[in-house]
Amino acid sequence: MNRKYELVYVVSPEASDDQVAELHSQVDAIVQRMNGQIEKTDNWGRRKLAYEIGRHKEGTYVLEVINGGGDLMKEIDRRLKVIDLVIRHLVVRVDEEQGVVDRTRANRTENSRRRRVARGLPADRQPGEGQRGEVDDDRDDRFDLGEELR
Amino acid sequence: MNGKKSFGGGGGRGKTSSNQQGKDGQRRPMFRRRKVCKFCSDKIDDINYKDVRMLMPFVPERAKVLPRRISGTCALHQRKLRTAIMRARQLALIPYTTE
Repeated sequence: MNRKYELVYVVSPEASDDQVAELHSQVDAIVQRMNGQIEKTDNWGRRKLAYEIGRHKEGTYVLEVINGGGDLMKEIDRRLKVIDLVIRHLVVRVDEEQGVVDRTRANRTENSRRRRVARGLPADRQPGEGQRGEVDDDRDDRFDLGEELR
Repeated sequence: MNGKKSFGGGGGRGKTSSNQQGKDGQRRPMFRRRKVCKFCSDKIDDINYKDVRMLMPFVPERAKVLPRRISGTCALHQRKLRTAIMRARQLALIPYTTE
């Protein structure tokens, strides 16, 4: 049973880089022990929190993509809950969602290719080929979502 | 819509045309562009909680989720958007509320 999970944890800003690395190796150790593997690790660095957690205003975000079973993630979840240095964490299963996304994407390109061939065009879009001319006159839309709302 | 024919796309919002214009008829009836789902038109399949830049336009000022009626997002994508926003909130990437 191999599933793909994403784990994001927020480390307290007081933690040094070494401590963050130490945390990563702890996670890695659990993953290794339970026959999983870490596919990717991404340190987003320190960023401001949208709201205060405890007394913290910022935190270090680390993302790990992990292949493994549910019991592995359960264990990691349990361990992270105990560690005080981690102020927030989130585990999300991503393989199913990813499959759906890939399928719709594949479907769409296939459809567009088929339609284009039916119209007597080359299957792939040529560079410089224009389309969607109506996008530009969208700007007077009152509820247009854009940067100005932010 | 008020038993009157709506202009062009009409779309989305309950109140259109008629009640918006003055008596003198100087102003043209309010024209509302048919709103389309941003994710459908831009072909964004993956609404991800990590992509805060993409989510931010959908949580205006009070940090509430922007309703479909206003954003025009389709049901499928609104649902995905909501999950993404809720996840991002847990991680303090997006606020639950602003004081």
